[in-house]
Amino acid sequence: MTTEPMIRSESDRDPEFAAWFTSLVEEEKLRECIHCGVCSGNCPLASHMDLGPRKLMALSRQGFAEDVLGSNTIWLCTSCYACTTACPQQIPVTEVMYALKRRAIETGKAPSRHPVPVMAKGFTKMVHKRGRLTEAYLIAGLALKSGITRYIGMVGVGINALRTGRVSLKLDSIEKRDELSRLLDAVDDHSKEVSVR
Amino acid sequence: MTEANLSAGNGNGSPRIGVYVCHCGTNISATIDVVAARDVAENLPGVVLSREYKYMCSDPGQEIIKDDIRELGLDRIVVASCSPCLHEETFRNAIADGGLNPYFFQMVNIREHASWVHKDIKAATAKANDLIRAAVRRVRFHRPLEARRVPIDPRVLVVGGGIAGIHSALTLADAGKKVYLVEREPSIGGHMAMFDKTFPTLDCAACILTPKMTQVRAHPNIEVMTMSEVVEIDGFVGNYRAKIKHKPRYILEDACVGCLECIDVCVFRNGKTPDEFNLGLSKRKPIYIPFPQAVPQVVLIDPEGCIEFRTGRCKKTCVEVCAERNAIDFTQEETFSEVEIGSVIISTGFKAFDARRLPQYGYGRLDPVYTALEVERLVNASGPTEGEIVLRDGSKPKKVGIIHCIGSRDKNTNVHCSRVCCMYSLKLAHLVKEKTDAEIYEFFIDMRTGGKGFEEFMLRVKEEGVTMIRGKVAEVYPEAGNTGRVVLQAEDTFLGMVRKIPVDMVILATGIEPQADAEDVRRTFNISCSTGGFFTERHPKLAPVSTFTDGVFLAGACQAPKDIPDTVAQAGAAAAEALALIDAGHIELEPNTAFVVEEECSGCKTCVGLCPFSAIGYDEGKASINEVLCKGCGTCVAACPSGSIRQNLFEDEEIFEEIVGVMANV
Repeated sequence: MTTEPMIRSESDRDPEFAAWFTSLVEEEKLRECIHCGVCSGNCPLASHMDLGPRKLMALSRQGFAEDVLGSNTIWLCTSCYACTTACPQQIPVTEVMYALKRRAIETGKAPSRHPVPVMAKGFTKMVHKRGRLTEAYLIAGLALKSGITRYIGMVGVGINALRTGRVSLKLDSIEKRDELSRLLDAVDDHSKEVSVR
Repeated sequence: MTEANLSAGNGNGSPRIGVYVCHCGTNISATIDVVAARDVAENLPGVVLSREYKYMCSDPGQEIIKDDIRELGLDRIVVASCSPCLHEETFRNAIADGGLNPYFFQMVNIREHASWVHKDIKAATAKANDLIRAAVRRVRFHRPLEARRVPIDPRVLVVGGGIAGIHSALTLADAGKKVYLVEREPSIGGHMAMFDKTFPTLDCAACILTPKMTQVRAHPNIEVMTMSEVVEIDGFVGNYRAKIKHKPRYILEDACVGCLECIDVCVFRNGKTPDEFNLGLSKRKPIYIPFPQAVPQVVLIDPEGCIEFRTGRCKKTCVEVCAERNAIDFTQEETFSEVEIGSVIISTGFKAFDARRLPQYGYGRLDPVYTALEVERLVNASGPTEGEIVLRDGSKPKKVGIIHCIGSRDKNTNVHCSRVCCMYSLKLAHLVKEKTDAEIYEFFIDMRTGGKGFEEFMLRVKEEGVTMIRGKVAEVYPEAGNTGRVVLQAEDTFLGMVRKIPVDMVILATGIEPQADAEDVRRTFNISCSTGGFFTERHPKLAPVSTFTDGVFLAGACQAPKDIPDTVAQAGAAAAEALALIDAGHIELEPNTAFVVEEECSGCKTCVGLCPFSAIGYDEGKASINEVLCKGCGTCVAACPSGSIRQNLFEDEEIFEEIVGVMANV
């Protein structure tokens, strides 16, 4: 049995992270959380999350960046928006989840072999580079980078999909790929400047 | 007109004007150069003396004015300080003490109009100088006036017959004042009559309320008007006139003795209409009494359900049984009446939040879900189950969940905390536990027990074994397998885990909202509402039961959510404010009334129809203004084609001089 330290000292807090977090939503709305727990209570995946949305946001507000960006909660969020629609303080929880995911990936805190960030990275990389998705290669990359063993059982599905033409091995792309790249880079730069809403 | 020929004097002789510039601590002096302003004023024509002082409104400040009047023979005073709303009366009184007519005075607002709204010292000082110059020019034309004294009608209108209205009415009536108590429901009593016990002392609501209701009925000074609504009010403080609509009861109130025999013999053997008082948990007949202790003890007929109204072919067994008293009258129609009163107390109460607006809690869709008010009726011995707590399927609950903050503390519905739900939820937990020994879960966000004996009550309920879970239920859904139970899913935020708890009964602690027609009431009585829709008091700390309309007071939950002790305290306060007004006997009104210069009036009657207060009469070919009714709006002054109507404090020369003064440097 391993023992996790249950105590946090002030030096564990990252004030810059806390400031970044509260600035995600206008009017400091993220500080208005009354901890009713409706977000976690409504979340269909809360049963598998280490923190759940309420605790995740409480830790974020206090600047415990390591706990937040290292949690599985942000990766299990399926963006169903159940939390957002029910929140009595109208906090856009799902949007905040996205911001935290991006931050984890950008700062290298995302678990390297977790399928969700691996998939997200592969997806955006392929769109950036080619302007189109070719699922066969996306899935192959995902399998290679997140541990191939867990996909062995799904080989049959893959072969069937290929055989019926649901996926193709032909690498697809658009014309003028450099223009799309420039466009997407500009969007990325812009989205770093604006809040989630 | 130049400054030179003005200094030569005017119709009021050569005035000797004193100007006083106030620092208001640093409120004014930080932004306005008060010394420079004093120096500028000193050189204005007619000004004998100009001073600046730290606080003109203080006793020493007022003494300076009084001494100067006596020693220097000043006969006009200008004070440049704050808003006249604050201290005009202070300075008028000081001037009167000094021996001058109090209307030989003009106040200049250099705080709200200059120092508080500007940053540039030079510009703000220049503006202050302009305003002071305008006042100095104007005040020379002031004439001696006398305040109007208007008698106060000692009768009071109380709107809303819940516990707030009942308490106000009784307090006033006991003090010997005539009270009209208007209630739109068939009985007085309000929400309190529906409650079972009251927190935290658990005394029975009916036991403490019904004696007061009976007192109201029996009191010679109180006239109760049920099924009635105030539709119109006009007049002013001390002299209001209210128009009241009376809905038909189809029963002659004076003839009915409340024997209830008509209900027994009604051709409907059983009730078919959902009973309003029991929130639809039982059925009533078309002829009914709202609840056993109703005041007045008079039945009423609901024309929607009555066969005679629907078909005209009923056997009318009710009329037969009432033959001796003959109290039933199917021909009644809506009527109107008018009352004259001097003040009004508004105690229109609240509306319980409609839980259907939050579908995730299943109210109206899932049988085990009840609102707190429904459970009050279930627990009550005179309720639909005679105090037995049985569910819609006839079973007794073994596990009960109570969810706090339904329609409160939620930006999707109401942001405010309804203040009473924590305590009434604890009370219901206690009562349900006592009657059924069920296992009880209270889902709260924050337990708000700030009140005398409230925290102690919560501890008592905890000791009784009620489980407290900190977290709001996210969803209520039927348990799998057709058990009839529902599952409450919530994060237990203390444990940091989501829990799913199946229960037999859910109680939704619905919050307090303004009445649906609060906006109409606001308009009728010319008062204001806060953003949440509750009526606004004149000052949140220092005038909590007054409104911005003189003579109109507030009591109870129409002003903000509050419990019974606070409501009664406020009702007493509102009655005391009304009494203070009444016992003063009269009020003084500004003498800013219009008057007709008879020699010039051509009798064209243009003004008569224009006056919004019907204050202008027509007498022997001339218009004449009733100065008690005149509110000084100035409409007639502007409209008179021959310029023969003038208005005190707003004479043409006063206004023109003020304009010249302000524009002097333009």
